[in-house]
Amino acid sequence: MRRRSILAAALALALVLTGCGGGGGEASPAPEGAEAAVTVNYGISNPWDSLMPYNSVSGSNYARIIYDKIYDRLAYVHADGTLSPRGAERWESAGEGYAVVFHLDPEAVFHDGTPVTAEHWAETFRLMTDPACPTLGKANFSVLTGTDENGNRTEGEAFGAEAVDEHTLRLTFKDPTTPEDFLLDRNREFYVLPTHLLEGVDPAELMDLDLWEAPVGSGPCKFVEQVAGSRLTLAAHTNYHLGTPGFDYLVITVVDKSNLLTALIAGDLDYYAFGGSVTAEDAPAAEAAGLEVLEGTVPNTFFELMLNCETISDARIRQAMELALDRELLCEQATQGRGVVTGSSISPASPYAQAAAAAPERDVEAARALLAEAGYDGRSYTLVCTSNRAGLAALIQQNLGEAGIHVEIETVDSAAMFAGMADGTYDIGIASHTPGALPLWFVESRFAENNNIFHVSDLEPYTQCIQAVKRETDPAARTALVAELETLLAQERPFLPLWFGTALHVQSPTVEGIDYASSSFSNENVWEWVKQ
Amino acid sequence: MSEAKRVLSRLRRNRRAMVCLGILALEVLAVLLLPPLLGLEPTITDREAGFWAPPSPEHWLGTDDVGRDLFARLICGGRVSLLVGFAAAALSVGVGVPLGLAAGYHRGAWEFWIMRCADVFQSFPTLVLVLCLVALTGASVGNLILVIGLLGWPPIARLVYGNTLAVREKEYILAVRALGGGPWTILTRNVLPNAVAPVWAALAQRVGRAILSESSLSFLGAGIRPPQASWGNLMQYASSLTVLTARPWVWVPPGLLIVLTVVCLQVVGDGLRDALDPKFIPRK
Amino acid sequence: MAQYIRRRLLTAIPVFFGITLIVFLLTDLAPGDPTDLLGEGAAGAAEQAALASALGLDKPLPVRYLRWLAGLLRGDLGESVHYGESVTALIAQRLGPSLLLVGAGVAAAVLIAVPLGVLAAWRPGSLWDGLSNCFTAAGSAVPGFFLALAAIWLFAVQLQWLPASGMYSAGGEGSLPDLLRHLVLPAGVIGLTNVGSILKQTRSACLEVLGEDYIRTARAKGLREGAVVVRHGLRSALIPVLTTLLSHIPHIIGGSVVVERIFGWPGMGSLLFSAVSGRDYNVIMGVTAVIALAVLGTNLLLDLAYGLVDPRVRYERG
Repeated sequence: MRRRSILAAALALALVLTGCGGGGGEASPAPEGAEAAVTVNYGISNPWDSLMPYNSVSGSNYARIIYDKIYDRLAYVHADGTLSPRGAERWESAGEGYAVVFHLDPEAVFHDGTPVTAEHWAETFRLMTDPACPTLGKANFSVLTGTDENGNRTEGEAFGAEAVDEHTLRLTFKDPTTPEDFLLDRNREFYVLPTHLLEGVDPAELMDLDLWEAPVGSGPCKFVEQVAGSRLTLAAHTNYHLGTPGFDYLVITVVDKSNLLTALIAGDLDYYAFGGSVTAEDAPAAEAAGLEVLEGTVPNTFFELMLNCETISDARIRQAMELALDRELLCEQATQGRGVVTGSSISPASPYAQAAAAAPERDVEAARALLAEAGYDGRSYTLVCTSNRAGLAALIQQNLGEAGIHVEIETVDSAAMFAGMADGTYDIGIASHTPGALPLWFVESRFAENNNIFHVSDLEPYTQCIQAVKRETDPAARTALVAELETLLAQERPFLPLWFGTALHVQSPTVEGIDYASSSFSNENVWEWVKQ
Repeated sequence: MSEAKRVLSRLRRNRRAMVCLGILALEVLAVLLLPPLLGLEPTITDREAGFWAPPSPEHWLGTDDVGRDLFARLICGGRVSLLVGFAAAALSVGVGVPLGLAAGYHRGAWEFWIMRCADVFQSFPTLVLVLCLVALTGASVGNLILVIGLLGWPPIARLVYGNTLAVREKEYILAVRALGGGPWTILTRNVLPNAVAPVWAALAQRVGRAILSESSLSFLGAGIRPPQASWGNLMQYASSLTVLTARPWVWVPPGLLIVLTVVCLQVVGDGLRDALDPKFIPRK
Repeated sequence: MAQYIRRRLLTAIPVFFGITLIVFLLTDLAPGDPTDLLGEGAAGAAEQAALASALGLDKPLPVRYLRWLAGLLRGDLGESVHYGESVTALIAQRLGPSLLLVGAGVAAAVLIAVPLGVLAAWRPGSLWDGLSNCFTAAGSAVPGFFLALAAIWLFAVQLQWLPASGMYSAGGEGSLPDLLRHLVLPAGVIGLTNVGSILKQTRSACLEVLGEDYIRTARAKGLREGAVVVRHGLRSALIPVLTTLLSHIPHIIGGSVVVERIFGWPGMGSLLFSAVSGRDYNVIMGVTAVIALAVLGTNLLLDLAYGLVDPRVRYERG
């Protein structure tokens, strides 16, 4: 009898303990004034990593879209490539095209109340380019003067970021750069840090500060608390200079990709990143549940086949691959008719679209002939993709197989795919990107010494063309140079452009004012969102 | 041999087990013979039918996201799932029986180390280990069989060990030993046949468990990789809301086949155990 | 008693080392390393080398294993490459939800299996017995993910009674009722997939006891049927239930990894899964070590409880 009561007590205790354990994981999103707090529930399919924007191992858009809330950027990029003020009110070209002067918004303040000054920006850039500072993504700074190609500050040269006065920031570049080119290309990489909290910190230890566990920024949302990898609670920054967000809390929860739409339908979420995008496949389910689905106006995805030009060394084999692919069918499969096939990385919405190379018609016989000419030995190539593209990979495998090219498929996560393409593990990879409006948005970073992801043996011809395009400021002459580059790419085919797709956005049933399409540039206008 | 016959006749009287055995035989025949007979093409896109075609006379279960025939994928996926199940179970038995015999017969250090190892393997969630190992070694049919098979030996070894211990102390073994029979003769002639018989029943259950492991992994995207199909990765489509709600014909058949197969294996295993039972557990 | 515990602990220790060593060796042999995963464009060779030495990846294997063990004793499992946070902190956040889910799953399994098993044994051949047979056969044959999909389809999509994912309504107040609503489906799935063997054990143990002579005597003496079943049947069921639970804990935990993944439960299973696909070695090692510890701990607890319930288990004093 007694034994049994002991056991009962033990079991009860165990239950209480597990109950407490569960309680430990609880998040209380509204620590103060819980009565009528308006909370926007924001879903995201992948976790962010560090909350320190220059310490992101993944360097992914999932991390960027989080930094976009906590920290401020210079400008806001719209889906069509136009810019509007954010940290900077206005900007102009200076120094004969070699510099850009940013006039910062004097109203901007950090979450701790300190006003944001040009010195904060300049000091952030100085710290991040310190050779001792383990900044990730440092190469982004290599466009500035006074840095080497890895973005490390060099001695004896004037550093390309200086505070002219309290609210004027001047960036100086190695090459002539228009403000638009710079912002479209790099805006999402540059954030202002609360350097007044970093005084006296050894740059080598900068990333290990406790500050990044509970960061202070000057973005539209303040950090409240986080459960790493699953939930982040932010509060509206009431003094945000562009306006106070129309909610009290923004709770960002990691929800499995397949459950995002379900959660939105169930009302558990108000919105999910990026832009509430939904596949054509799932759009009917969303509409059936009474949600509105709108089609984006600007292409927001660019699909390409990355090729390893070292293992697929003959350009004729790469051309044969292009001819063997049924782009229309692939595009149809991936976008359900919401895409346009392309032979170039230049967006059809770009002013340079006329210079873009056209996609050749599918011609299996010509592909076979090219293969025979190149002496293709029947070797098998490894095609790598993420698991959600497995169907697409299977179609590509069939397409290439019809021309006699053997391909084996591997599915990995996207970080492993890019790493494997970079180190030459894989031969072919299916990648998608968010297109920019600039003609070089794609090619410039891929034909560089430190990021030769296509393993091109001789970068010289590409870099020459690219530099020529960059230096030319006259639109007509520039278009001609772009066309020249396009011809080179079409001949060499170091990568295979596939199509541009437009996204479908599920409209939030509860939050108004969302600029859905611009989220593809990893920025969201949360300060204009209003719930109820 | 006469013993085997007796067991078979006992099994034959168990109608449920026989029905299940029949179903399993049908499944095996179907996955082996249907593809060549019907000319099933599990990896070829039917451009006319298009993507996600509903069931029709040409495509009994419709087509998938790239226009491949789902019925063909179901049957060919069955090949993979059943192969992994049977091969992994056979591997478990191949490893488990000798280890169990050695532990039970030699006792001492053999017993200690082998049974401790069995503890190690058995007290850890197999699926967690399989998930880690398959991810680390690379997912292929061969690796899956190896990992699932090698991690499945402890229950078999334990069973054989227990039986060996029991048989070992039997008087006739003592008699053989007294007559000068070497350990090898005793093991192969006397212990093995008696200790191994119950393994047949356990084998059937191992096949079921291996199929479940494989399908769970493949469902999570960590097992059999597309374009190769397996019952588990065919069910992956159901993580799309539209497939889950509007196209049950895509994910329900592979799910039901897994359940049917595992249930049948269990019933056959139980039947075998009962048929073997009277001799080995004389108590009741 | 103390000696009994000591003996159990002594057998548990090699088990722990065995498991961690296997995983450690394999993470080492695995292709690729976390420094490969530095974001596109972010990784220079120098950065990779710096990261490798910061992570201690340049040291020989035994050194790293010993280092890791020493860290474990201090509660330091290293840093996650992916989250940039300490593994201990990550696990601490995930442990609670996992314990809750597994605990609720076990509770669900026991609450279904024990009463049903007793009823089935009490009236063999009845509707209860049939139901119990169904559960036993289906319980261990229906894969958790199939059951989970079916449950999501029925309860979350069609009927919209219960949420399909997460632990709380995304961004909700984190209240207890909300938590319980989210718990029902995953815990139910874990429970149902583990009902089979517990049910089988309960039924056969009860059946055996109810056929004993002293029960017949008790009945003959006019003891009420309910009292007979509860006092003798249920009591005798406790031991087999505990034994089965004991041997089942690893299986339940393994199953919960899949269930966590499907229901987006923020536990160790989801953590392990993302660590495996992101080659986040420290996290893989940490999670497997904690799961090993949890399994061993539960085994020990249940062993002791078993000793308390069953007077026949001796602690082999002296």
